[in-house]
Amino acid sequence: MSPPRTACLCVPDLPLAAELRARPEWAGLPLAIASASGPRAEIVSVSDEAIRRGVRRGNTVTHARAACAVLKVRIASPALERAAREALLDVALSFSPRAVLLPPASGAFAAEAAVLLDASGITALFRSEPGFATALAERARRLGLPANVAVAGSRSVAHLAARKLSGGDGATLVVAAGTEMEFLGPLPIDLLDPEDTLAASLTRFGIRTLRELLSLPPRALSTRLGPRALALAALARGVSDDPPLPAPARTRLVEAVDLDHAVDRLEPLLFVLQGLLSRLLDRLEVRHLACGDLAVSLDLTGGGRDARRIGVAAPTRDLRVLLRLVHTALETRAPAAAIEGLRIETEGLSLRSDQLDLFRPPGPSQTELGRVLAELSSLCGEDRVGAPRVADHHHPDALALERFDPSGCERKRAKDGGGAAAGDLTSTLALRVLRPPVTAQVRREGERPRWIRSAIVNGPVVRWAGPWRTTGGWWSQEGRFAFDHYDVLTSDGTVSRLRYDHVARAWQIDGVYD
Amino acid sequence: MSPPPPKVRTAQGPGVEGAVAGLLRDLGSQLQRGSAALARETSGRLATGIPGIDALLAGGFPAGRLSEIAGPPSSGRTSVAQALLTHATRRGEIVAWVDAAQAFDPASAEAAGAALERVLWVRPPEPRTAIRCCQCLLDARGFALVVLDLSSHTAARLPTSSPSPSASPSVWQRLGRMAAGTGTALVTLSLERTSGVFADLALSMQPTRAHFSGTPQLLEGLEIEAIVSRQRSGPALRTAAVCLSTGSRAA
Repeated sequence: MSPPRTACLCVPDLPLAAELRARPEWAGLPLAIASASGPRAEIVSVSDEAIRRGVRRGNTVTHARAACAVLKVRIASPALERAAREALLDVALSFSPRAVLLPPASGAFAAEAAVLLDASGITALFRSEPGFATALAERARRLGLPANVAVAGSRSVAHLAARKLSGGDGATLVVAAGTEMEFLGPLPIDLLDPEDTLAASLTRFGIRTLRELLSLPPRALSTRLGPRALALAALARGVSDDPPLPAPARTRLVEAVDLDHAVDRLEPLLFVLQGLLSRLLDRLEVRHLACGDLAVSLDLTGGGRDARRIGVAAPTRDLRVLLRLVHTALETRAPAAAIEGLRIETEGLSLRSDQLDLFRPPGPSQTELGRVLAELSSLCGEDRVGAPRVADHHHPDALALERFDPSGCERKRAKDGGGAAAGDLTSTLALRVLRPPVTAQVRREGERPRWIRSAIVNGPVVRWAGPWRTTGGWWSQEGRFAFDHYDVLTSDGTVSRLRYDHVARAWQIDGVYD
Repeated sequence: MSPPPPKVRTAQGPGVEGAVAGLLRDLGSQLQRGSAALARETSGRLATGIPGIDALLAGGFPAGRLSEIAGPPSSGRTSVAQALLTHATRRGEIVAWVDAAQAFDPASAEAAGAALERVLWVRPPEPRTAIRCCQCLLDARGFALVVLDLSSHTAARLPTSSPSPSASPSVWQRLGRMAAGTGTALVTLSLERTSGVFADLALSMQPTRAHFSGTPQLLEGLEIEAIVSRQRSGPALRTAAVCLSTGSRAA
């Protein structure tokens, strides 16, 4: 059995990374993240270019702008940071089923986001642990997250090693088994992120490295500095008695963004949505999943919220398809007010592959068909799109639609032992149904209609056939119907289907032969 | 002495031919060489199954083109489009009927022999939406035929606030291009010609005679005249007389 190994994927400056993940076009520009709005807000994250131009963490926005006139200042977005953290966990879960997102740290590492993942036996998949670490860092970079990766024998050592790698530019470090103490010894004690009072006491004692901390007798350490110092020493020793890493069955993915200004037009909103969906699809791709139904939540000005569910017929990773679905949904039912924030949630599903029929011409793919049906349903209404069916009812106006699933029907037909209908085609005359029927005025001679006046047909009746009576629903006052139908040819050459409604006591034209 | 000629191995030996013959024997008429879609692409025409119309159009309506069927009520427009749909669905194709006129009759189509489960019936609430539905269907690729029925005695019955698509030639130009890009035959039904020069084929229909016979009298069918009023890839102004039957006597 291979010895336990743990990898730590660490983004040292999450606010900046989350912002650049949402706006990759700002990479390389002087960028600072402020804790709040206003000129006195504190700068919490600074890009390398901004540092080069004199902007420092802890400056106020005013000071930062004074140092760099072209500085772009953004307010830290909890929504973006949360999504970036989850994206980091997705990267870890794409390599190992056991991974955990560490809770946000405090103090000097407050901006850090770290994920621990089980790397035991990983050399069976990768040639070496450094190769695995590089692949992990590369995948995080693909999702727009510059992360350091460290691999070690325990959680704490891996975490400390990842913290040691400065910069957050995809650096990797592997601490070989049995060399943990050698590695940990010279590390500065600040990497353990001790509380301020404890850090001050240790500094006063002249203790700056982990080796110096471990050289102190534990009992004396506990007596003088309390149990927190002992816990710190245990961390420094690299000893971990944590339970095994969990194996989360998490396939629910969320992406969100807070907008700087409320958006009340569809085009700019779609631009934002495109980025949001693109990031969501990138995360799904690394997990080898596809997008299921979308839950879209819009934060409206005035505190309202517009939540809607957009059905996706077949799991897909096609950005164009998803964007069109959202576009159609928003266009069909516009939000009641301008939008201040967006959140998209989906369930990651396995991607289905299309099975082509050996004996049928290829139709649209399941994904395309799903997209088309959803889009058509949005445009026309769900009850107006589907496969036609002859209604199981005698009422001439009865209408029946069923779910359009040609492949499903084929399977059902094959299962029932039937084949495709075959036989000679004849040149059959079609009926155009008028929905609703058009009211007509009819002059009669006995049973025979002599003259029709309506919005469709006008003139004397030249030939006629009928009547044929259709009745039904007699047991219900509302549902009863009784019609006398005639086929009539009028002088203008139109052959229409005329009926007398015995219930409404009115003449109507309910179809035209065409 | 010259070296012996190299032995050439043929890919289709007697074994392959035998296997193909066995498959043809076992699967019968279900198996065909190449798909129907390929056949459609090769011939470039979608047949209606009505001999007179197919002969007039040199095989049927062109695939990947915008075609138009126009004519007054009872001129047989719907019957021709329905025959096209029937023929395509029985070949296994998937088709769509965009019914802006709200006039499609599933019972008629089924009586004509259409496989209704392969028909996507879209009932847009207004013509403008119908055009968007068509774009969406053409964009999907894979539909052999899209019928756009705008002929609901439309001018009189649709609200005046919804502009007729014929008002904008660019709509037809765009639809024509989309059809060309996807290989889908787009056929419009209307009372009068609407798509102008953007239609590859325009078929004008006229009612000739209605047949009533028997005791009691029954409507037996319609005689119609079809005129090719525009055809980009062939001669125009050719006519054909077609008889459409209700099948009432046979029933």
